[in-house]
Amino acid sequence: MKKKTKLSSVARRSFLRGLGRAATYTGALMYGGRPDAMRNAAAKSSESAAARESFPTPDYDWTKHRWGFGVDATKCIGCLRCVEACKIENNVPDDAHHFNTWVERYVYLEGETRARIDSQHDPVNIAASGTQSKYRFANRYKDAKVEKAFFVPKLCNQCTHPACVQVCPTGATFQTKDGVVLIDDKYCIGCQYCVQACPYGARYFNVRKGVTQKCYWCYHRITKGLQPACVEACPVGARVFGDLMDKQSPISLFIRNNRVQVLRPETGNAPNVYYVGIDMEVS
Amino acid sequence: MPVHIRRLILVVVIFAASAYAAKLFFTAESFYEYGHYRAAAVPQIAAQEPAFQTPRYCQSCHVERHAQWSANNHKTVMCETCHGPAKGHPQSGKLLIPTETVKLCSLCHEAMPERPRVQPQVVVAQHAKSQQCIVCHNPHAPKIAGAPVLVAGDADAGSRTHAASCTNCHGAKGISPNDTWPNLAGQNAAYLARILAAYKSGDQKDVAMTPLAQALSDSDIQNLAAYYAGLSCNGTPSTPQVGDVAAGQTLAESNCVSCHGKTGIPSNPAWPRIAGQKPGYLVNVLKAFRAGLRKDPMMAGVVRGLSDPDINHLAAYFAAQSCQSGAEGETAK
Repeated sequence: MKKKTKLSSVARRSFLRGLGRAATYTGALMYGGRPDAMRNAAAKSSESAAARESFPTPDYDWTKHRWGFGVDATKCIGCLRCVEACKIENNVPDDAHHFNTWVERYVYLEGETRARIDSQHDPVNIAASGTQSKYRFANRYKDAKVEKAFFVPKLCNQCTHPACVQVCPTGATFQTKDGVVLIDDKYCIGCQYCVQACPYGARYFNVRKGVTQKCYWCYHRITKGLQPACVEACPVGARVFGDLMDKQSPISLFIRNNRVQVLRPETGNAPNVYYVGIDMEVS
Repeated sequence: MPVHIRRLILVVVIFAASAYAAKLFFTAESFYEYGHYRAAAVPQIAAQEPAFQTPRYCQSCHVERHAQWSANNHKTVMCETCHGPAKGHPQSGKLLIPTETVKLCSLCHEAMPERPRVQPQVVVAQHAKSQQCIVCHNPHAPKIAGAPVLVAGDADAGSRTHAASCTNCHGAKGISPNDTWPNLAGQNAAYLARILAAYKSGDQKDVAMTPLAQALSDSDIQNLAAYYAGLSCNGTPSTPQVGDVAAGQTLAESNCVSCHGKTGIPSNPAWPRIAGQKPGYLVNVLKAFRAGLRKDPMMAGVVRGLSDPDINHLAAYFAAQSCQSGAEGETAK
């Protein structure tokens, strides 16, 4: 009885498989070799034809790099030069609520079990900055009994399995071959599914442009051989950037010489920002 | 073939054709080239112009400033962190020179419990009392070369050393008899001690001063510094001047006053009082700084842009000031 059932189910499965195959072939036949047609169409546009040798720019081949980012929280002094540099470099909205990169402060006071966490959008810090387009941490704990305190810079993790890309309905956000998740402004419809999907809160919606934005490791800089603006601006070397394919790059050495960890590994996104010197409470 | 089957096939073919046409029409040109996205978006993003040009860009014009900066403690702070992004500079204008330095410097150097201990930090209110940081610190070479030394010398012992070695040139009462040797009377003790020590160690060289200073012991230097600092600086008014006092004042306001004070009396005792100093001496010293014969990171940057007439004007201006610290603002004009 059991055997018979199994046999019939196998038969059904193979029938369905055959049906699927037949449908595929029929479809392929009907579309008349669509991929070829697409390729011809693409070749016609001079932009793509020139880029064929080396993509995305003549001097930069994205298959030859795999970018990675390191953050050494033990070095961060919370000066927020990275945040201001990023705002200028990437035309991030000029307020204390939208950031490509930001810095969080974790403070454990004596007798308290949980950290007090604040960042640039905290009213006290906005007041200390004076304006919403300049950033500084208010020295609010100078007279408190601080047991442990540190800063943690945050930015997009450019995950290997990005949830944001998975949920995008239009293909406006995608992963490049060198491991950066980009947003195509022209294809983004502003549905903000990706903002919801990101477990790190790295994305925000730009109301003025009607598109989602986030850190992209200054893709326009790294493809020109420069460092991201925040890495360039950091005065203490708390931010490290480089090519994971190059075993002598700053990031490869950073990962090799430190015990590193990533944020929220349990989400399965496989993030690519490696942290040193953060606490359990940081996520 | 029955007619209804043919119609059915026709309907299917029309549907497939229109679907294909719609797909071709609505899909962006490079959409499936590398994946489920528009490949053309990548070069578009990569083509954006960087706003921050990195210090290497600045170096191509500001060679000396870059050399000074890159040899000192702020070499990890890139130029554009303080001066703003260099995109479009110099074509579209000058970059910012920060004036609110307390606000700027405290971003990194305000004492905060969250900061790593290795970061140099100060309690701003105690450290400088609302004075601008650049009064004492050169932002490109922030470590103070002449930190005020505490001078605890014996002025009487100093007067004996003075009588033995210094009177011939610097005058019996520390007022030099000629235009090219400096007055010492009333000079800051910390400055005198620093400069004598520099002559002794060879950091600063002078045909006459080097052998004299080498003969002095450390306590001699302290005693001398204490002795001269206690003398009255009121001597004969300075000799005729080559420069223009008014022009000198304008130059001084943009170049000198933040360290040497409005009339040449500095707030930091490690720096020299230059009010009422001999004009010929001032001219020589400024030219020596410019030529690199006297070395000081701050002065090297300041004198770089001064011409010979500028130096004459400055010397005339400071020589014409009263050396008495009580006299605020301009006096002997």
